[in-house]
Amino acid sequence: MRSEEDLVRTLRAGAGHVTPSGGLAAAVAARRRTRRRRQWAGTALAAASVVLVAGGMAAMWQGTPSVSLRPAVAVTTMPPAEEVTVQPAEEVTVQPAEDVTVKPAAEVWPEAVFTMPAAASDGWKYRPVTGISPTEVLLTAESSFEKAGRLEVYDASTGDVRVVGKMPAPEGVKGYYVQGVEVGEEHFAWYGTTPNNSDKWADFWVIPREGGTARRLGEVTGDPADVERIGVTDDSLVWSLRQGGVYRISLSGGQAEKVEGSDGLHLTSWPHAVGYAPGERGQKNQNRRVNLVTGEVTEIPVPPATTKLTCAAEWCYGAAAGDGGLVVQRADGSDIRQFPSLSYFGELLGDRFAPVMPNRGDADPAKEYVAPVAVYDPATGLIGGVHRMSPDKPTGYGSGTSSSPTTIMYWGEGPKVTVLNLAAVTRR
Amino acid sequence: MIPGYVDHTTEFDEFVRTRGDALLRYGYVLSGNAEDAADLVQEALARLGDAWPRVRKKDSPEGYVRTTMVRLHIASWRRGHREELVSVVPEEGRFDRYEDADLWAELQGLPRKMRVVLVLRYYEDLPDAEIAAILGVSRGTVRSQAARALDKLRIKRMLQEAR
Repeated sequence: MRSEEDLVRTLRAGAGHVTPSGGLAAAVAARRRTRRRRQWAGTALAAASVVLVAGGMAAMWQGTPSVSLRPAVAVTTMPPAEEVTVQPAEEVTVQPAEDVTVKPAAEVWPEAVFTMPAAASDGWKYRPVTGISPTEVLLTAESSFEKAGRLEVYDASTGDVRVVGKMPAPEGVKGYYVQGVEVGEEHFAWYGTTPNNSDKWADFWVIPREGGTARRLGEVTGDPADVERIGVTDDSLVWSLRQGGVYRISLSGGQAEKVEGSDGLHLTSWPHAVGYAPGERGQKNQNRRVNLVTGEVTEIPVPPATTKLTCAAEWCYGAAAGDGGLVVQRADGSDIRQFPSLSYFGELLGDRFAPVMPNRGDADPAKEYVAPVAVYDPATGLIGGVHRMSPDKPTGYGSGTSSSPTTIMYWGEGPKVTVLNLAAVTRR
Repeated sequence: MIPGYVDHTTEFDEFVRTRGDALLRYGYVLSGNAEDAADLVQEALARLGDAWPRVRKKDSPEGYVRTTMVRLHIASWRRGHREELVSVVPEEGRFDRYEDADLWAELQGLPRKMRVVLVLRYYEDLPDAEIAAILGVSRGTVRSQAARALDKLRIKRMLQEAR
């Protein structure tokens, strides 16, 4: 029979049998970066059900939110500090941490924040896609997690929901999932894949915006099935591939064909596509923007020591090297601003916004408002916080699932979710 | 550094530097293998780093990170989620007694939660009430898990009453 002393001795001796290999600090730092990216990516891609974890937020939004037209960020122009990592020829405006105040989105953009039901009357869960007007949100209704089955539109001005139509799975295809939904002038469009097997396969659908029956345009296999993003025009559904290159299929069906001159291009929002400068995967900078209708190419100046430069029509976002925070510039390279107290994920929202992560420093969520993520508007300099951190509970939030940059971020639990619809932000 | 930009990096890095080895050993005792130990300590420290200002103000960082390691380990979070960032940690050393090597091997065969209870009680020397709090179970559960684990390992219970 052994004794407890034997156990104590064995455990202590066993502990000594592992030899630290060094590099722990670097490994931890790398993991923290991964965690930050994942916190964003996880919610951006999928995490609607996770979003409904956090509590206590609803009370915040009760009553009439006070309307404040004062910018949440005091814009102070400072000469670049010596330590600033971005030092292009253009003068950089650095926004010091104390001048960057994140207030709840409902205070910053009261016109754009509302609540809506988290589920349809038959129990199917809603997942916001994007705002199609200041008051209307396109939704997919899911019978089970990520299994979209119906397209609906919620109207915040009336509180009504309109069913656009069913999103059927094609016959005989197992493990079929609807992916990004896109909003066109006349149609909503989407594509579907079978993500849980190794087949390179995708199919494409459209449905009239006013409602009706979804129509399947066709399917592709092989490389053209590696769909990254779609767009829908008057006569075609277009898509770009993860490895670059743009394809189209006619709305009347037929064969898929490659768009001439589209090698290396990635759709952003039809008719615009971008190209990237060579670089490390996930860190590359966009350096040209192409209008696929007119063929016009616009070169984008990349500030030095910047990664992930990502451009909307007028504005670009990037990450400053050495954890120097968020960099924002106009697409022509002017008006460069740096925010050391904000981090950039590499995503866009709507036509000009971006989600940013406030580096929270000493902030104590038990005592003050702390946002897990915030939205930056380069046109006004306003920053609106999404949801709020809780001292004792995980805080979840989600973003719309549209193929082009969504206008929606949402959060909250229970029968209602809170929605920030940037399509309602008209102030510039 | 930009003026006014609050930075806790140095303080946290210092903690990682001074406590990293001890935490790795703790991870090794908890998990029984070097890769999982490195994985646990890196993940727990990453979480600590993100929560550093709050934790440093309110709690002990050491307690926070050890509790996080235990909970991560219990949750079997690593299965299928192992980070690619784990650097290989060599395992070496021998037990002075053959009996201890046997006991170590048998410890690895225990259900995860039972082994954790033993580690917290006999390696960390924590009272049962504190173990219960860390694991989110009752004190009675801690006692019964410990008793069953000791029986499985054919260890005579002596210290039980003192707890």
